Amino acid sequence: MAPVAGALDPAALMEVFGSRPEPDWLRTIRRRTWAGYDATPWPSASEEEWRRTRLDELPRDVPLVSDARAEVSVLDADATGAGVVFADLGDAVRDHPELVQRVLAADAAGPRTHAAFWELSRASWTAGTFLYVPAGVTISLVLRSRTATAGAGAFFPRTIVVAEANSTVTLLDEFSSVDGEPGWFGGTVDIRAGAGARVRYANLQRLGDATWNIGAQRVEVGPDAEVTILNAQVGSLVTKLGMDILMSGRGGTSRLLGILAAGDEQKIDINSLQDLSASNTTSDLLYLSALYDSAHAVFYGSTRVRSEAKQTSSFQECRNLLLSPKAGAEPIPVLEIETNDILRCGHGATAGAIDPVQMFYAQSRGLSHDQAERMIVRGFFERVVAQIGSEAIRAHVLAALEDRIGSAEVVAA
Amino acid sequence: MTDQLIIRDLEVSIGTKKILRGLSLSVGQGEVHALMGPNGSGKTSLAYTLMGHPDYHVDAGEVTWRGESILKMAPDKRARAGMFLAFQYPSAIPGVTVASFLRNIYNAVHHPRNPDEAGEGAIKYTGIPLAKFRRLLEEKMALLSMDPGFSTRYVNDGFSGGEKKRLEMLQMAIMNPTLAILDETDSGLDIDALRQVADGINATLTPEMGVLLITHYQRMLNYIRPDQVHVLLDGRIVMSGGEELSHQLEANGYDWVREQVGVPDGVGDEVAEPAPQPA
Ligand SMILES: Nc1ncnc2c1ncn2[C@@H]1O[C@H](COP(=O)(O)OP(=O)(O)OP(=O)(O)O)[C@@H](O)[C@H]1O
Ligand SMILES: [Mg+2]
Repeated sequence: MAPVAGALDPAALMEVFGSRPEPDWLRTIRRRTWAGYDATPWPSASEEEWRRTRLDELPRDVPLVSDARAEVSVLDADATGAGVVFADLGDAVRDHPELVQRVLAADAAGPRTHAAFWELSRASWTAGTFLYVPAGVTISLVLRSRTATAGAGAFFPRTIVVAEANSTVTLLDEFSSVDGEPGWFGGTVDIRAGAGARVRYANLQRLGDATWNIGAQRVEVGPDAEVTILNAQVGSLVTKLGMDILMSGRGGTSRLLGILAAGDEQKIDINSLQDLSASNTTSDLLYLSALYDSAHAVFYGSTRVRSEAKQTSSFQECRNLLLSPKAGAEPIPVLEIETNDILRCGHGATAGAIDPVQMFYAQSRGLSHDQAERMIVRGFFERVVAQIGSEAIRAHVLAALEDRIGSAEVVAA
Repeated sequence: MTDQLIIRDLEVSIGTKKILRGLSLSVGQGEVHALMGPNGSGKTSLAYTLMGHPDYHVDAGEVTWRGESILKMAPDKRARAGMFLAFQYPSAIPGVTVASFLRNIYNAVHHPRNPDEAGEGAIKYTGIPLAKFRRLLEEKMALLSMDPGFSTRYVNDGFSGGEKKRLEMLQMAIMNPTLAILDETDSGLDIDALRQVADGINATLTPEMGVLLITHYQRMLNYIRPDQVHVLLDGRIVMSGGEELSHQLEANGYDWVREQVGVPDGVGDEVAEPAPQPA
């Protein structure tokens, strides 16, 4: 039995980490980042992005989850031979200490809105997905990592993807926890795409129905790199996710896709920043949510085009389908454009119920109300689903969605 | 004859607006009835009411289909009982391909899931085998001279007016109903398309099928010969006759009907402008 500690009790934490066979350099990082966490205030409701989610009821006295790990798919001999590393973060520290040390030394700050939680994850991670792809290496297989926690607790796993110049990789990163147990999930995702790299990252979130998900993601897109991020979210009680998409390399492209299906009393609050600081960059975001019961979603999407970034193209679009009169959605787009020299910058946001005529049309063809609704919802998600390049990832995402939206029976024909 | 639609003294309102004021009409097995009437006279309202649109409130009267009252039935149940409505303005269902939509509605009508199978332990329900459905679809699309590429597009999403009407007919062919209500299936079709769609309808019609064909134009009736023609005005059928009535209407217009039956000018078509055509 692994020792447990209150997630925010430094003495107990140091005991947990002291008992882990970790190198001194990592202990040093943990101490330093813990100090950084300590010095960083928690977000307050005076911050625009935090006005709609309160952390008062976050279960912060739960013990740290210390016995979970990322189960990763096995690499083929070619990839291993080429120097690819894909492992649970703890295992990577053990097996590739110099590489991991170098990667962690290059850690940068996470989303401003989640600064404290970013540091907390750096200090207190007990599991994580570590993927390193050397320059020029192409991995054609879809890599898969699964991280599950069994009981109540606080858990701050780190996903780190380093794709060096001109490498190609696709990763499906899945997170789940049990229903009914109060949990605090503070997983962070750190993606660094080097020049010309092609990265497809899918995050499938199936956390338990009593889990608070205060996650953060930082995606850095290098020159001419192409990055696609998919967040498929079906779980958690409360989610407050912060995402930074940093378009800092000239000619880089990012697509940020989101699928969200929520019901019961779920509260989902997402803030994104598409930060275009280099010229000729393209960044598109498309988030689709289907909200049932009393679920409520907030989408605060910022686009910043900096004065030095010329000839950029960016768009953010957020569509919300409300499947119950008690469900609600607030899409809030914010554009800050500091230059006139742009190709395109725009946004689109809607929230509404299924068109009753559309419903009647489908029902008049013999589909029950529920069948028609499932079909319409499934069709609504298709704009994102169709952009999921990997058949395997598409199947996992659709299977996860079925828990909430039901089997649409929209089979290929 | 039991296989027939009988509408008796039907009164329908939407909100506080009374639209049908005692409409009676019967359509027998194998019969084609044309329904004509000015814009806004209530033809679509009748079609919606017959199919069970929740906004159209039946204040009085009765509708029976094969001897059974249908007014309390949900729209999907009416469809499974053999009724079909081709919409004047079909809805788009973005993200759902024509092929998967048709397969779903085929299964809903012809392979309904056994209620006992709904439980957790049920064997995964799949309905008609894919290969068999593909053959059926190809056959029906050929019947309607439709391009096979059609089946991978999203239902009515960005379809032209004529394409939408063809898809309505394809749905009818797939569902193979026993009562077809066609609401202005001829409008929006070019001359060649009108002939193709009419040929398709004729090929789809069976001796068992009853048809209520709503149209503004006599031309359609050259292709699909009606047994009877009815005129809807002032919320009622005010005139019925044989095919020749459609020629008289074409020649004389609805004022002539008003003179004949003594309905004052303008009653029954107070909203004279045509309904907006969705983009
Ligand atoms: N949802 C609604 N709310 C209010 N009024 C409605 C509604 N639907 C129909 N109406 C009104 O009911 C009347 C009958 O409309 P309906 O669409 O049935 O006419 P129609 O005979 O089909 O006309 P057209 O030949 O133009 O298709 C019109 O005055 C119309 O404006
Ligand atoms: Mg009409």
